[in-house]
Amino acid sequence: MNRALADHHHSHDATLILFITGEAPRSRRAQQHLKTALAASGADLAPAREIDLLSAPQEAIDFGIFATPALMIIDASGKRQVLYGDLSDGHSLSHFLAALSAPTP
Amino acid sequence: MNDTDTTAEHGLVKRATGIPHLDAVTHGGLPAGGATMVVGEPGCGKTIIGLQILASALACGEGGVFMSFEESREQILRNADAFHWGPQLRESPRCEIIDGQSMKGADFSGAFDIDGLLAVLDLCIGRVEGTWIILDGIDQLLRRQPDNQIAIDQITQLNDWSIERGYSLLLTGKHTGNDSALQPNHLTGIEFMLNTILVLSSTLVDKRLNRRFRIAKYRGTPHNPNELAMLIDDAGIQLPYAVPFVADAVPAAGQRISTGIERLDRILEGGVYRGSVTLVSGQPGTSKTTLGAAFVAAAAKRGERALLVSFDEFARQIVRNVSTLGIDLQSPIDSGHLRVVARASWDSLVEEHYMAVLALLDDFSPDCLVIDPASALLKSTGTESAFLALERLLAVTRTRGITTMLTSLSEADDPFGESTLSHASTLADTWIVLRYQVNGGERNRSLSVVKSRGTAHSNQVREMTLSPQGVDLADVYPYGSEVLMGTARAQKESEEAALRQRQVKERLRQQQRLEVEIESTRALIQQGQAELERLQEELVAEHQDQAQTDRGASQHQDSILRRRSADQGGNDQ
Repeated sequence: MNRALADHHHSHDATLILFITGEAPRSRRAQQHLKTALAASGADLAPAREIDLLSAPQEAIDFGIFATPALMIIDASGKRQVLYGDLSDGHSLSHFLAALSAPTP
Repeated sequence: MNDTDTTAEHGLVKRATGIPHLDAVTHGGLPAGGATMVVGEPGCGKTIIGLQILASALACGEGGVFMSFEESREQILRNADAFHWGPQLRESPRCEIIDGQSMKGADFSGAFDIDGLLAVLDLCIGRVEGTWIILDGIDQLLRRQPDNQIAIDQITQLNDWSIERGYSLLLTGKHTGNDSALQPNHLTGIEFMLNTILVLSSTLVDKRLNRRFRIAKYRGTPHNPNELAMLIDDAGIQLPYAVPFVADAVPAAGQRISTGIERLDRILEGGVYRGSVTLVSGQPGTSKTTLGAAFVAAAAKRGERALLVSFDEFARQIVRNVSTLGIDLQSPIDSGHLRVVARASWDSLVEEHYMAVLALLDDFSPDCLVIDPASALLKSTGTESAFLALERLLAVTRTRGITTMLTSLSEADDPFGESTLSHASTLADTWIVLRYQVNGGERNRSLSVVKSRGTAHSNQVREMTLSPQGVDLADVYPYGSEVLMGTARAQKESEEAALRQRQVKERLRQQQRLEVEIESTRALIQQGQAELERLQEELVAEHQDQAQTDRGASQHQDSILRRRSADQGGNDQ
């Protein structure tokens, strides 16, 4: 089941979406890795919205996401960035999330 | 799932692809449930195969899904527009084309699953009520996996999923370099996981692209394992030599038809057999084209349809040139009985020429065909298959009962030049060789029939003459081991004509002399007859006179005797 998208009351108007597929191990690992990374960042970041493609496949088409897990950032201008995989590479993940903390141009 | 177009062979259920040649070499199509991998270099036609299968499914009232990991939806549709079936991909509500290239430019952190992809495909194929799914450039998705084994496992996952659902899944993957052509780049080992693998390849021959197709693997079913020439035209994928030749279908007609040259027909006991193949070989300028033109003109004159395919000479030139020899091609062209088509041999691959001629045969349905010169195929690109193309073409004409004449150009410096197309000569029923005979400072054309199956033909070399009245063969005048030709033949003809004239005059004189003698004799006979009659009359008169004299003497004697008798008193009465 998809979780509600967090309110946009944070300093940055970026949206974080995690695409998963049910209880797949890689999806579970990605959730855990993301949670840990967000906590470690210390930034005022909203929890990610989660979309389960098994129950909402149309969302995959709408967002163009066909591999899971996938973490998407949509910035204020609507620009999208995607990090695919179970987010096991902490360095890549923290680098990706840095975009959320970066000052808005 | 629509099972109307599936066939079961040895337990494997196949689904027709709708590409006739592909269905021919696969003996009915690709697995109705399961994955087929199409591997090939860039530009080999992998995407087109997928699009054409989808278009064929749509044409049959089925739906399908096409997902590309390399190109956008608009790019895919634009590519498809180049084919006559392309627009229906854009217009049909039962066709879903998904842009799957969103991974381009993305970052990666660990391995990923494709369950979401399967969910999307389930959703889309259900929406269009389809049976075919094409994942174009699957290697572009799976090459992002950090471990090659994960990618292989996911190909297996796709295969298992399509078998379970009963989908015909077509995967395409790029192959470059010198590694095994059975597997796409980044998917090493995939050849062991799938039962059906098609390999497309291409090579540059004389700077022209030659595409090839091969079924590298099709487990559980007979199939054509040979590497076949592949073409891509506006109809899509063509495998020119895919359809097997059925020898039993060739008829053996007993009817003779004219070659268009009366004396040649007489040599051939009435012409060539309908449906047979005649090869006319000769050096440049020996009038091979003229023989071909005479042949099609004769066919048109009989009310038949004739097709003349000319390589390297334009149709109007042929019509003009042969008209000076009394061969009218323009009238049958105007009436629709004759079609003259010119093709540039160097401009196409052998397979393209083959398919073009086949298309002409299908379109025009000729009774007679001339290919002039067939040897031009040897000049086109990909000549290693020229003989194969010719064999296949002749198999088609024989099966359809089309009487065919091929001309073949022999090399000028090759005294046995007719062997240039000797391969074709073994296929031909009749082989006519045209040559130049140089004698007495003259070069004259000669014709001889090397072979004509089922015909007790003359084995003499004859001079072939061309004039505004047409093509003819001169009488044979042997002179030692040679046959007189040109001026020598004309001189001989003149001498023979003079001799004949003398003989005629002599006979006339003899006849007149006999007639005079007959008249003279007749007069003598008439004179003798008159004398005979006079003598006969004289004889009759003599007989009558004698009889009269005899009667008078007898009466006188009787009278004397009576007077002397005693009883009578001696008185005369």
